[in-house]
Amino acid sequence: MDILFSPQLLAAALITGVLYALISLGLNLIYGTMRLLNVAHGDLVMIGSYIAFMAFSLFNVGPLISMFGAAIICGGLGWLAYRSVFQNLLSNSEILARLEENSLLLFFGISVVVQNLVILFFTADRQGYEYLSAIVEIGDVRLTGARLAVLIVGSVVSIAAVLYLRFSLFGLAINALIQNRDASAIVGINVDRVQMFSLVIGFGITGLAGALISVLEPITPVMGFPYTMSAFVVIILGGLGNLWGGFLAGLLLGFLEIYGVAVTGPEWRSVLVYGIFIGILIFRPQGLLGRGRVAR
Amino acid sequence: MLRRLLTASLVIVGMLGLLGPSQAADPVKIGFSISKTGLFAPAGPSQLNAYLVWQKMVNDKGGLDIGGKGRRKVEFVQYDDKSDPAQAVKIYEKLITSDKVDLVMAPWGTQHHFAIAPVVERHKFPLIGNTAASVALRKVKPGYLWFTTPMMPDNLAKEMTAMLKSRGVKSVAIMYNLLQFASENIQFLKPALAKAGIKVVFEAKYPPDIKDMTGMLTKVKGKNPDAVLVHSYPGDSILYMNQAREVGINAKTQYVMVGPAIGFFRGMFKSNLDGIVTMAAWTPGLKNTTGSKEFYNAYKKMFKGHEPDYLDSVEVFVSAQILEQAIAKAGLDREKIRQAVNSMTFDTIYGKIKFNGVQNSITPAGFAQIQKGKIEVVWPKQRATSSVVDKGAWAK
Repeated sequence: MDILFSPQLLAAALITGVLYALISLGLNLIYGTMRLLNVAHGDLVMIGSYIAFMAFSLFNVGPLISMFGAAIICGGLGWLAYRSVFQNLLSNSEILARLEENSLLLFFGISVVVQNLVILFFTADRQGYEYLSAIVEIGDVRLTGARLAVLIVGSVVSIAAVLYLRFSLFGLAINALIQNRDASAIVGINVDRVQMFSLVIGFGITGLAGALISVLEPITPVMGFPYTMSAFVVIILGGLGNLWGGFLAGLLLGFLEIYGVAVTGPEWRSVLVYGIFIGILIFRPQGLLGRGRVAR
Repeated sequence: MLRRLLTASLVIVGMLGLLGPSQAADPVKIGFSISKTGLFAPAGPSQLNAYLVWQKMVNDKGGLDIGGKGRRKVEFVQYDDKSDPAQAVKIYEKLITSDKVDLVMAPWGTQHHFAIAPVVERHKFPLIGNTAASVALRKVKPGYLWFTTPMMPDNLAKEMTAMLKSRGVKSVAIMYNLLQFASENIQFLKPALAKAGIKVVFEAKYPPDIKDMTGMLTKVKGKNPDAVLVHSYPGDSILYMNQAREVGINAKTQYVMVGPAIGFFRGMFKSNLDGIVTMAAWTPGLKNTTGSKEFYNAYKKMFKGHEPDYLDSVEVFVSAQILEQAIAKAGLDREKIRQAVNSMTFDTIYGKIKFNGVQNSITPAGFAQIQKGKIEVVWPKQRATSSVVDKGAWAK
């Protein structure tokens, strides 16, 4: 049990938790404001990873720089998706009533198209590159520079995003929309604009996360799906549309996974994570910080 | 009269001459399914690229030698099976019955081989398998399917134990992915280690979607084994490579099953891979092989300097070489090809290959080690291009 007091394990739990929190943020934002179930969310992680990989292999630009490019490009894709597809759908009250279910199929289709386009342009071959691979020692903790960068950047971006969305005027408008769409419009919030920026910010943050992840695992067109799954677990656990809840749930999931596995064994990871996930939902179906009923 | 007869004969001979080359120029249609999308898509290029290299090499020399009766170029008919074995079954039916291909080549992975086995058997289409490895393959009824892989789990266990023993290893830590091939390896490895008196001081299995190994590796470090054997696939191999350095795993023998033989992986870890042992039995400099350097150079030329996967691409090319040589002897008669595959000894980039039933009976399972950035075959000793050495300290 000494292992539970290992600072190395604590660092690993923080990295895993921060990544979960960061990845789920965009999904939560988009679901919260528009009730869109973006099952192509992991594919944005994948696109972010490819952008970072291309920036590194073509221009020798590391992911700590290219992550901004990934955020801008993915944010741009969000803008394009909103203008070309979702703006019309969201403004039609009949379609809006069924949009939550239909968005699942729509994004599934988008996911298939995106994956196939990436295969077409890059082939499905695994890609990877060496970046900040040297070990950095901080007290008793030893991390590769890349993992340390993921921890720092991931923490800063996700905390900053959550704080911004909680305290800025625009963030308050987003929160208002998350709480009640119709009432937001009545009090003068430009719903269309808030929705569009939610999609842009949501896609952008996810693309940035993808750029960070590109140094941790093989980059492939199918790398996104596990992140879609993790992000859904996190946002359901935290309370759908609750950004703080999602952030805390991400951290909780990371700690649960790392410490749970250290105590029981890695083969128990899925049983443990999903078991506790289901257990929490039995007692709090609305998630950890979710309200009793999510208002539309 | 004689002049007329001569002229007529010349015209007929001329027409035959015209007909002859045009028939010989018809390409040989070879079909296969490939996992271009879906779960196995990242593994697909290792296979498809090797097929394409072989096709180019064959066509550059005028085509396949059809039983000594002229050459015909190779044309591929390929479909994406979306990583779904059921889809592969439909594709092979279509290739044979609708596309009327002359021959078929293998899809990717053990599952797909098992799935299409009844199709090729029913239509009596010979198929040289590749990228499939499981002791269960030996249960396939000998007929129209053969397996080139030397990496059968029981043989790997035997060779791994022998290698560890030769290095004086007394204790090992074993970690393995729960996917079928890795798990099957452990089934055979543990009894072999016990028989050799090598103690397993730590053992852990983990799911394919594992995201962190810190806890597991901290425990391994506490046991201080002589060797760490990680039966992993590329994603988890990357986790190990990063986190073993963080935790400070310094065993002199560290085995990472799948990953180090693939180009992208070496690009990610460069000098930190030095000393890592992996599953591979080929390198371009391997002696007593046929076409190794040519294959390596052609691959690099065709794919802009990228190296082939030393495991999958190599096995795929071997299967193509076998088919090529069987056609050179038997022509395109599939029954004669079957007889040729059963009876011939083939010269390949793995060296000589002969089948006993469905299995490659000559090539031994083996291991390679990354030494100064190069992949060297280090086991078994009779095939080694270099001796296995202690893994030194991590580069940085």
